[in-house]
Amino acid sequence: MHWSRGWGRVAAAALAAATLAGCAPMRVNSFVERGTDFGRLRTYVWAQTSELSTGDPRLDNNPFFQRRLQSDVEAQLAARGFQKAMDGMPADVELHYHASVTQQISVSGVDTDSPRCEPNTSCAPIVYEKGALVLDLVDLGSKRLVWRGWADTALDNVIDNQRALEETIDDAVRRILERLPRPGA
Amino acid sequence: MALLTAGALSACATATNVSSHVESGVDFARYRSFDWGPADSLPTGDPRLDKDPFFKDQLQGAVERALAARGIQLAPSGGTPDLRIHYHANVTERIDVSGADRRFGYCQTPDCQGRVDAYEAGTIVLDVVDTRTNRVVWRGWAQERLEPLLDNRDRLASHIQEAVKRMLAQMPTAVAR
Repeated sequence: MHWSRGWGRVAAAALAAATLAGCAPMRVNSFVERGTDFGRLRTYVWAQTSELSTGDPRLDNNPFFQRRLQSDVEAQLAARGFQKAMDGMPADVELHYHASVTQQISVSGVDTDSPRCEPNTSCAPIVYEKGALVLDLVDLGSKRLVWRGWADTALDNVIDNQRALEETIDDAVRRILERLPRPGA
Repeated sequence: MALLTAGALSACATATNVSSHVESGVDFARYRSFDWGPADSLPTGDPRLDKDPFFKDQLQGAVERALAARGIQLAPSGGTPDLRIHYHANVTERIDVSGADRRFGYCQTPDCQGRVDAYEAGTIVLDVVDTRTNRVVWRGWAQERLEPLLDNRDRLASHIQEAVKRMLAQMPTAVAR
């Protein structure tokens, strides 16, 4: 009876965590350097990747993550009218990205935006993994950051599932780059 | 609820989280030999594991046995292997405030009431590189709590053995989908 109640709470916490991971909305935002003339920014190159830790060894220097991200970004930029500069050719902007994973604590049940206890949740504090993806555009003429876009979302059970990770990357990149002004804008 | 409880119990019994990423379309059946590549430049995050020959020997031995069991042999020196394997070990401090960590299915107190529990999560990452294309074709990892392991070398060795065996069982034996 004692263990049954205990494991019931384990299961309730797991259910709350799974619900959080499944339902926590992705947040997306961006900054733009005021006065930037995006009309002249048409070509881009990738910055050299550096061995920055993401905070999660599963993603550190993970080529599957990197290839998916770069492929998605290139497809979205092409759709928005940007061109990848040919090897050795000058480009207008340099593209950087950084991904990070951090533990977060939710103390208000499943709905992190609500201070109340949602029905059918344990309302016990839970820990979950939050992933953040940042995309930076640096004007190679002025060497200044002219645009930064980012997304963050709960990642529990995502990194361990390659398909789920790919879908999360697809969604994040699409939604981040929707906010990027088009060339000529 | 019953399934979740069963899942939590199962996770508690094994206590090691194992998963992998793979490059689809790669035919793993054609790989017959491998060699060790250099470890990456990232530190483990724990001086007890940095440059620890016991850990390295146990890990490499476990990988060599697991691969030999599926017909992939350590290449003779000077030969050209089909695969090059890199490993990385990492120790990260993590917290669990609910008493029921989802990854490890762990419950600290009999009533599972919330309490702050800081623990060290250890991760072993194996990267498998196709030497012909120089691309990573598979990455596997195993994660578990380290506290019960670092003070007991026999236990550490047996957990490395089991983790590597389970990890490499996820590597495809034919064309990856």
